[in-house]
Amino acid sequence: MPEFGALYNAFSTALGWESIAVILGGVLLGYVVGVIPGLNRAVAIAIAIPLTFYMSPYAAISFLIGLSKGTAAGSAVSAILLNTPGESSSAATCLDGYPMARDGRPRTALKIGLLASVIGDLLATLLLIAVAIPFAAVALKFGPYELAAILVFALVFIAGMAGGSFLKGMAAGGLGIILGTVGMDPETGAMRLTFGYIELMEGVPILPLVIGTLALSEMFVQLDEYRRNRGQKAINLSDNQQDDLSWPEFRKTLPTIFRGTAIGAFVGALPGLGPSVGSFMSYGAAKRAAKDPERFGKGDPRGIAASESADNAVIPASYIPLFGLGIPGSVSAALLVGAFMIHGITVGPLMLREQPEMLFSIFSGMLVASLIMLAVGWYGLRIFARITNIPSHIVIPIVIFLCLAGIQVQGYGTFGLLVVFGFSILGYFLKKFDYSFVTFLVAFIVTPMLELNLRQSIILSGSDPAILLDRPIAAFFVVLTLLLLLRFAWTGLKQRKKTVPNAD
Amino acid sequence: MKLQSFLKTALVTGALAISTSAMADNFPSKPLSMVIGWGAGGSTDIQGRVLANVMSEHLGQPVNVINRPGAGGGVALQQLANNRDEGYTFVFGTSMSVTFGPLATPTNYDVDSFKYVAGVTLGQSALVTGANRAYSNWQELIEYAKANPGTSYATQLAFDRMLIEYIAKQEGIDLRIVPTSGGAGMAPLILSGDVEFAYSGGTHSGYAETGEMPVLASLADDRLVAFPDAPTLRELGYDIDPGDIRVVMVPKNTPEERIAKLAEALEAATQDPRFIEITEERILMPVVFMDGETVHEDLRNKVTSYQAIIEEMGGLSE
Repeated sequence: MPEFGALYNAFSTALGWESIAVILGGVLLGYVVGVIPGLNRAVAIAIAIPLTFYMSPYAAISFLIGLSKGTAAGSAVSAILLNTPGESSSAATCLDGYPMARDGRPRTALKIGLLASVIGDLLATLLLIAVAIPFAAVALKFGPYELAAILVFALVFIAGMAGGSFLKGMAAGGLGIILGTVGMDPETGAMRLTFGYIELMEGVPILPLVIGTLALSEMFVQLDEYRRNRGQKAINLSDNQQDDLSWPEFRKTLPTIFRGTAIGAFVGALPGLGPSVGSFMSYGAAKRAAKDPERFGKGDPRGIAASESADNAVIPASYIPLFGLGIPGSVSAALLVGAFMIHGITVGPLMLREQPEMLFSIFSGMLVASLIMLAVGWYGLRIFARITNIPSHIVIPIVIFLCLAGIQVQGYGTFGLLVVFGFSILGYFLKKFDYSFVTFLVAFIVTPMLELNLRQSIILSGSDPAILLDRPIAAFFVVLTLLLLLRFAWTGLKQRKKTVPNAD
Repeated sequence: MKLQSFLKTALVTGALAISTSAMADNFPSKPLSMVIGWGAGGSTDIQGRVLANVMSEHLGQPVNVINRPGAGGGVALQQLANNRDEGYTFVFGTSMSVTFGPLATPTNYDVDSFKYVAGVTLGQSALVTGANRAYSNWQELIEYAKANPGTSYATQLAFDRMLIEYIAKQEGIDLRIVPTSGGAGMAPLILSGDVEFAYSGGTHSGYAETGEMPVLASLADDRLVAFPDAPTLRELGYDIDPGDIRVVMVPKNTPEERIAKLAEALEAATQDPRFIEITEERILMPVVFMDGETVHEDLRNKVTSYQAIIEEMGGLSE
């Protein structure tokens, strides 16, 4: 159990000026990104990682987590005022948010969205802290056998659950695995798929890869869409005194918010599902639970509350497998792994033993971020409402510039630029043809870990599969993986297409 | 025509004048670049940035840090070998990249492609084990391994793999050598007891107080600062000096007096409390000052001894 001293230090770090400034910066930036429809969370984190190079590891991670939380709250603004979700995960917020804003109550709608976001986020963060630590304490006892088995299980699970067809999921995962094996063989030192590039010896550099596949390619997609929907106008916030949230009205949404938080936290904790699934599930559940479901879709505040609370609860909950097991379950968690790596930290259960203060500081920083989010959203309402009108032709060039500048900062030079462009084209087609992005990215990130643990298991056991009999946890996950594969294959055959929306 | 050729002459003379004045020892007269062969945020980078700061105060010119990660510091050295900046660009890195690197992978450089300004820090790597093992020192481990063929060892680098294979051959023991990446990959294997003993770059220094990761042997040329009881490989009877030194290097064509200027700045840095603090308290390695000649000689000897080992083993394992 953590010592009291460590907890105290953690909180004093998180409440220090530097920490609050960094988190505020992250949340503000995240909010802006969330509000602007063309910019999504993954793009923002990918291009923000280089900004964190010269921060302390704690500051860097808090900044990125604040950013990621901010996007989830900010995305409600454009969903409500513009009927275009700032993040795909706020699509469900449009359903009731936009009608409500059109009826002359935009401020009320925004405030419900904000409060639902903050409550969902705060409760899920508390859950993360409560669950991740005992989880990590157990996971610390895992050896290579358990880790290899769990990683394979997680990859298959993500491929099957991330939406679209299972085959496409597996294909995306396979591509990620192949890219993850580039570089020096960990055992023999042989060069794999490096094509003579000495820069590839340590693998495909993660930053150019994520900036290319996530950020730059997204700008191409945006350019594409920009030609089609130009000139949308957002609803303005009027000075109508009647348009404000009252306590009785808010109280009516509270049960929905708690239900949404629970759904979001559950969905978030499972790798691969992502916030879109969470918010739609929560919206559906709220509608089913209501006595007057016909009001949904016509500006019911409970619709906004359901969607936003779940959307925001997913983010902290998706860090449970990250901190508990070292497995990223979403795109933003995968990006955090990259950020941790750049700062020389391996995220996962070992942090609990080796850097408990850092881990607790990050957790306390996350709580601070929730509260800052409330303040930022509450007082910045009017400003953020304006930002929805920033046109893509301003956003896109700035983001492209930041993408390329980020690569230069890390020091990859022209080689890095080639990698970025190569992967931006790959990312563009992955998006166009609806290949699961989470699966691709998570597979890429965990492959080195998976390969190493698998090879360690094989060497340590002397290639004897009977070792699984001594390792019940590993055996359990191997069996579970096989069952999962059979099930996905079966449903895949039965209905060649699933209707789950794309994750994260 | 006349005017043009006049201009040309003027330009050429001007350029010559500038370059001679540069030679006349007002080096450095423009900003310098410290190239680091590892990504931003790693231990070499953290330390290098402080070093660059301190150096720039002494040299009176900014020292810009450039990261050129890749190939265990090899990408940076590859570029330095072709560099013609005559002292304005230098690499801060680990000596392992120049000694063992060229033996393990094809490179366009070797230990004599560079001049060494100075060594400023000594590596503290070690062979470590976990608590509650059946052995508590190196001799007992060797006995244990002889009695238990297939004793497991976790390797991180081609270098420590070579060392351990050499030792295994000398002792006639049969090991299961498992690959792992970095201290974060090694630590759980050792702490959980899945692996018997392992190479550790610096992770053990963080466990010095708890005793969860005892050191069996020092992989520095001398005993470790934090584990003075663990013997060196030479004390254990193996003919190897495995020590790693953090050094500043320049291309070999760099004028001597410029190297001397840089060395002065480095010597001052090794006495600067900021550099000492980041190195000894954060990275947990001792600060030293080894002059360039000594470093070069030492590294050459290491290369020769590694070559001998590789030959004796019949090449590096594939």
